[in-house]
Amino acid sequence: MRAIPTLKISISGVRGVVGQSLTPKLLTRFAQAFGTHTGSGTIVLGRDPRTSGQMVKHAVVAGLLSTGTRVVDIGMCPVPTVQLQVRHRRAQGGIAITASHNPAEWNALKFIGSSGLFLDTGQARELLDIYHQGEYTKVAGAEIRTVEEIEGATDLHIKQILDALGPLPKTPKKLRVVLDSCNGAGSIVGPKLIEALGAEVIPLNVTPDGSFPRPAEPLPENLGDLCRMVKEHHADVGFAQDMDADRLAIVSERGEPIGEDYTLVLATLYVLGREKGPVVANLSTISALADVANKFGCPVFLTKIGEVNVTDAMQQHNAVVGGEGNGGVIYPRINFARDSLVGIALVLHLLAESQRTVSELLDTIPRYTIVKEKMACPSHRIPGVLKKIRQDFAKFPLDTRDGVKVMQSDGWLLVRGSNTEPIIRIVAEAKTEDRAREMVNSVLPI
Amino acid sequence: MKPLKIGITGVRGIVGETFTPELAVEFAEAFGTYLDRGRILVCRDTRPSGPMIRSAVLAGLLGAGCEVIDLGICPTPSMQLAVKWLKADGGIAITAGHNPGQWNALKFVRGDGLYLNPTQGEELLDIFHQAEFAKATWDTIKQVVQIVDPIEEHVKVLRESFAVEAIRSKRLTVAVDCCNGACSFLSPKWLATLGCEVLTVNDDPNAPFPHTPEPKRETMAQLCAVVKAGRAAIGFAHDADGERLGIVTDLGEPLSEEMTLAIAADIRLRRKTGTVVTNVSTSNAVEMIAARHAGSVMRTPVGQTYISEGLIEHNGVLGGEGSGGVTVPEVHLTHDSAAAIGLILEHLAQTGERISELVNQLPRLTILKHNVAVEPHRLYSVLQEFRATMEQEGIEVDSTDGIKATLPEGWVHVRASNTESLIRIIVEAEEQAAARELLDWARDRIRR
Repeated sequence: MRAIPTLKISISGVRGVVGQSLTPKLLTRFAQAFGTHTGSGTIVLGRDPRTSGQMVKHAVVAGLLSTGTRVVDIGMCPVPTVQLQVRHRRAQGGIAITASHNPAEWNALKFIGSSGLFLDTGQARELLDIYHQGEYTKVAGAEIRTVEEIEGATDLHIKQILDALGPLPKTPKKLRVVLDSCNGAGSIVGPKLIEALGAEVIPLNVTPDGSFPRPAEPLPENLGDLCRMVKEHHADVGFAQDMDADRLAIVSERGEPIGEDYTLVLATLYVLGREKGPVVANLSTISALADVANKFGCPVFLTKIGEVNVTDAMQQHNAVVGGEGNGGVIYPRINFARDSLVGIALVLHLLAESQRTVSELLDTIPRYTIVKEKMACPSHRIPGVLKKIRQDFAKFPLDTRDGVKVMQSDGWLLVRGSNTEPIIRIVAEAKTEDRAREMVNSVLPI
Repeated sequence: MKPLKIGITGVRGIVGETFTPELAVEFAEAFGTYLDRGRILVCRDTRPSGPMIRSAVLAGLLGAGCEVIDLGICPTPSMQLAVKWLKADGGIAITAGHNPGQWNALKFVRGDGLYLNPTQGEELLDIFHQAEFAKATWDTIKQVVQIVDPIEEHVKVLRESFAVEAIRSKRLTVAVDCCNGACSFLSPKWLATLGCEVLTVNDDPNAPFPHTPEPKRETMAQLCAVVKAGRAAIGFAHDADGERLGIVTDLGEPLSEEMTLAIAADIRLRRKTGTVVTNVSTSNAVEMIAARHAGSVMRTPVGQTYISEGLIEHNGVLGGEGSGGVTVPEVHLTHDSAAAIGLILEHLAQTGERISELVNQLPRLTILKHNVAVEPHRLYSVLQEFRATMEQEGIEVDSTDGIKATLPEGWVHVRASNTESLIRIIVEAEEQAAARELLDWARDRIRR
């Protein structure tokens, strides 16, 4: 069999394995292409704490400077902090150096436009064209601009959250929170934010040294330590972030992971309680979101997967909240970005203002189970797989905007190729885990 | 003509044209691969493209698995000394030395603080061209360290090499033009250590070069004025990275860059006779001076690496080149303008002689240098044709480096530049008129 490549150049950016495909030359060239694309303006640069972060940063700085770009280096920080800084500084763009939930050997560049949003499909295609054409803007030595190193970019982030939501209301007992930052970019800002909101924080894995104390994805099976700590400290809630702090998972006061799909559901419950309006999520999102929105009489729009698709639709529909089922909450009053810090603030406000526990709140929301599987699959085989699914399930209503979503009477099944890795993702939702697994198994092995 | 030169002395080009960040990244990866990872020092001069090239070099070295110590802006010889005391495996200097500001270059230093020799330079080029570089993985990749001050250590080594107390006692007034280059950090400090009253011009590393960073008579007008106005005992002019030195006498006379080695040789051989190592393109004044002091001269091809190797091979007492680079072996075996300053001031302090008096006793020959721009692919053919012409005319040639012909009225040296796509013609004769005639004679015999 042909080797599965470790490099993924796509409209989501460039992602690869350090020591194999993600070479400094490739990174420099991408940065040159981005500097060329943005017209040699100001670019904000931030990174997560991966061990390869410094190498990647220097490669990117060299490429950007050579195109006459002015670089604002905000150091180690969450991806949403970079997005916030792009807008705050009216920069022409940003680059976040992070492979978010991928394992330690990966790294990636994510490109942000002047709006603070990730490049949309059209902009990303332009960037890729420039990259491939290989003709980049070059400025003479005397026109090379400086790298400005900025500290405290995350303080602005905390301030914006507090300005939008305010501190927590007084409760009989201060909320007690365990935060597991996975030694990621959230380490340096999460504990500060929770304290600033007025809750007590018990930190776990907040040493941003590039080591991965657990797999970065905040999936229930990776949150054993967090669950234990929540029980041990009789905390009200546990939060888990990924490496670049865009995704958030929640552990209830009983020390049980509530499933990352419910992060957006709880955040939406709070936001719609404050202001009514449309909700946007991707088509892999749990149906409980629609149930909550219906209760408030608010519409839900489902989009293709990918943060940029969600943010696009949020702007189009003037949504008050949105996000993705993987724990990515987007609250446009603060930031058009998946932002675990915003998610933390919304959920803590919900707990404090409702005076209810996480479990009590969940009891008011219909429960569904989502089962996710993935299979290695070279990209050239993906269309064939999808075609077969369309044929096998032809008797059901199908949504083919992103892979194939099969709408069954008691749930749904989604099969699609990943944007970031050479794999096929299979997702199924039903009222029970058995039924959801049965739906996944109905297409396995592909 | 593309201003890019990749050769055994490194890579040099114009930023914004040929010297791209990818090129710097790949050369750094090749060097990291060549040294089998290890600890590498990086320094740069003050050119505005320095930060861009620096980032490219750091990325390439880290990508290859090197541990990198970034010395920031410092003279190349400071880095070469630091390679030894930090027990590094090598170093990269980001500097185009005497070239104008739009140029930049990478120069590669090995574990003993000397430049790669020609064989090593070729090995590095082979790795660069083959483009299969060592790659660090996430669990082996290293970080950049930035805590070291190479200047202090450089001054310490210099102090140990010269009679500092004797110089201090004279409280000499010394003018220095740092050309806003890397010596802005070293030279004023070293002169202050020597107890001099220092009249500094152009010591702002953030400002552009006030003139071409090549210490020649044409670039020393400002320094001459400072020497005269301040009644200085001597004036020194630096290049961008601390290798070449130009001198203005106490009378305010700017000297040819050829005189720097002549002065240093005279001072050195008076104390300690032995072999002076210089290249075939440098003034015969060195032979005349050596003869006075029962010393000898060893001639090498042009380039620092040859001077260093010649000094080791012949146990030389001094090295240098007509471009103004001087090597004082007690400090280290590489050009170091701060070491040359130490040697000269020590002499002035200990003898009470004025620099103008010393210069008056030296042979004054006329040396003329002329560059002919040649398409890169014609460079060596042009040389071959010149050689054939010499042979037809029955003139004997020395081919240590390029072609050198010695004629009754003087000598002519024609060679390809190591760093640019140029044929260099250097002629020397006793009188100006004879030198002019020689230059015309040589030019007539070069067909582009």
